[in-house]
Amino acid sequence: MMAASVTRRAVAGPPILWVAALLLALAAALLPGFFSPDNLANVARQSAVLALLAIGQTFVVVAGLMDLSVGMLATLVLVLAADLMDGRAEATLAAVGLAVALGAGIGALTGVLNNALRINSLILTLGMLTILQGVTFIYTDQSLGAPSPAITWLANGELFGLPPSFLLVLVATGLAHVALHHTRFGVHLAAVGGAVQSARQAGIAVDHVVLVAFVISGLSAGLAGLLLLGRLGTGYPNAGVGLELDAIVAVVLGGTALAGGRGSVVASVAAAVVLGMVSNMLNLLEVSSFLQMVIKGGVVIVVILIGQIRPEVAR
Amino acid sequence: MSRPDEMAAAALPQAAVPQPRRARRIPEMLAIWLVLVALLVLAGVLSDAFLRPVYLGNIVRQAAPIGIAAVGVTLVMILGGVDLSIGATISLGAVVCAAVMAGEPANIAPAVVLACLAGAAVGTLNGALIAFTGVSPFILTLGTAITLYGVTQLITGGTAHGIVAPGFREAFNIRIGGVLPVLGLAFVGVAGLGLAVQRLTTFGRRLYLIGSNPATARLAGLPVRRTVLIAYALSGLFGGLGGLALLARSGVSGSLAASGYEFDVLAAVVLGGTTFEGGRGGIGGTVAGVLILFVAFNLVNVVGLPYHAQLVVKGAVIIAASALYRRMREARQA
Repeated sequence: MMAASVTRRAVAGPPILWVAALLLALAAALLPGFFSPDNLANVARQSAVLALLAIGQTFVVVAGLMDLSVGMLATLVLVLAADLMDGRAEATLAAVGLAVALGAGIGALTGVLNNALRINSLILTLGMLTILQGVTFIYTDQSLGAPSPAITWLANGELFGLPPSFLLVLVATGLAHVALHHTRFGVHLAAVGGAVQSARQAGIAVDHVVLVAFVISGLSAGLAGLLLLGRLGTGYPNAGVGLELDAIVAVVLGGTALAGGRGSVVASVAAAVVLGMVSNMLNLLEVSSFLQMVIKGGVVIVVILIGQIRPEVAR
Repeated sequence: MSRPDEMAAAALPQAAVPQPRRARRIPEMLAIWLVLVALLVLAGVLSDAFLRPVYLGNIVRQAAPIGIAAVGVTLVMILGGVDLSIGATISLGAVVCAAVMAGEPANIAPAVVLACLAGAAVGTLNGALIAFTGVSPFILTLGTAITLYGVTQLITGGTAHGIVAPGFREAFNIRIGGVLPVLGLAFVGVAGLGLAVQRLTTFGRRLYLIGSNPATARLAGLPVRRTVLIAYALSGLFGGLGGLALLARSGVSGSLAASGYEFDVLAAVVLGGTTFEGGRGGIGGTVAGVLILFVAFNLVNVVGLPYHAQLVVKGAVIIAASALYRRMREARQA
């Protein structure tokens, strides 16, 4: 028992951080090119979209829910914003407004439906995903439009030698961290995810808290859509397929339990960056994209299992 | 009555349940079939061709790959689990079958067996990890799905791969009595088999008990781990069969052939009244759920809406049906 709890303390912290340390050590030994400023900036740019989605998803998961609609919401924003801007600099503000309004609006709709219908959030947001995909494809089934120069710069440019998208992720992470751990809303959110009945009996406005969580998730999806548009350079209607599952993977790898009640935005973002690091390193090693998928899936399974086995050892 | 026995009474399928329970369970099952009938009537009003037996037979044939896979996933979901790797497993089944066949009729039998074995192996791996580590099935099977898509792409090199032997597709597409294709019959047969497992076997009963309350099931001495393992293995096996059905239907063995099918399968199972929480629903409802999805798709085409409006209809049907079930259950408990 003593030994077990010591073991537990020794490996404390989300397993993803240990994977990150291991990867960095490997990179230092095998891939000197990995630490070049250009490559590190690339990792940050590649990870930014997933990091934004992971931030929003963390709020929903902490509430004990899930939001599968974010991949297709990001895609809808991407396609509409691309068509709206069509490369014109003066349309940037309008596109940002569209991303914020559509993201928050669809998020609010999902939240309202969740509260009104009280069906499993997984199935509700699966329905939303399907509807949003249909709307996107009805709007266009081929690539159209282009980002404005400012959006392209946001996704691919430099500011004080750093990628602007990375700075955006940092700011969003900071705000989200404060919201989750240092506000009444954050405490209430964790209470709702931990035990919804108790939260309701304690007088917490459960529906309101859940609504806000979905709005945050939608908002992050809207911004992620803009960023993805900047990366791709065109409004591709299949751009965000599967992103929702990647976001959930990042959140879980960060140590947030799907059961809800606790979680960390910083760890989710770290996990998204680690996933970006893995694919960047595999690219540098010229591993085929197929084998990359096998390795990525393997990493997910192994990290989840490590996180799973640990508490049992401690018991 | 001891507590486990009460649990049994609350959760058992019709087979061993006292009469009043049975009476209360029926409306929900009936509701989903009534929705299907209503949809068919609507289709008949909107289009003369829709209710012709050949057209209906075609719908059943279209539904076969997803329907067959959904039978296995229903077992897992009754248990309170989920299998997100089902789309990847269907792809794997199709790819393995086509690759082993390599265009030779003599290879059909080994190809079919190997595709089933591959599916069952994936399911067994999922089941073992879930049963013995208690890992969240949602996230584990998501990891399995990513890995499997990589594996199938490695097999195929990313393009369509393998050659379907002459006779394979033809055999599945013969219309019995000029109406129901063999592939449709296969779906009906697999569903019947699944229904028998669910209703008539001890294993089937244990699924409901464990899904209702895993802790009680364990305390009652049920072999929880073994049941979980078998359920996921069956889900993988039916996924492999779904891959065969996909190959027989489309002839395509691309590694991403069934990518996204996991969501369609989940939608069909949930439409049929089986929940993520487990302990309720069943394969009968799933069959109706699958048919509703495909009748609705065809209806969208018949009415002349844009092709992609199928997706909007599907999403709306998923949400509306789940909300309706919720109301019905609450009304019954009140």
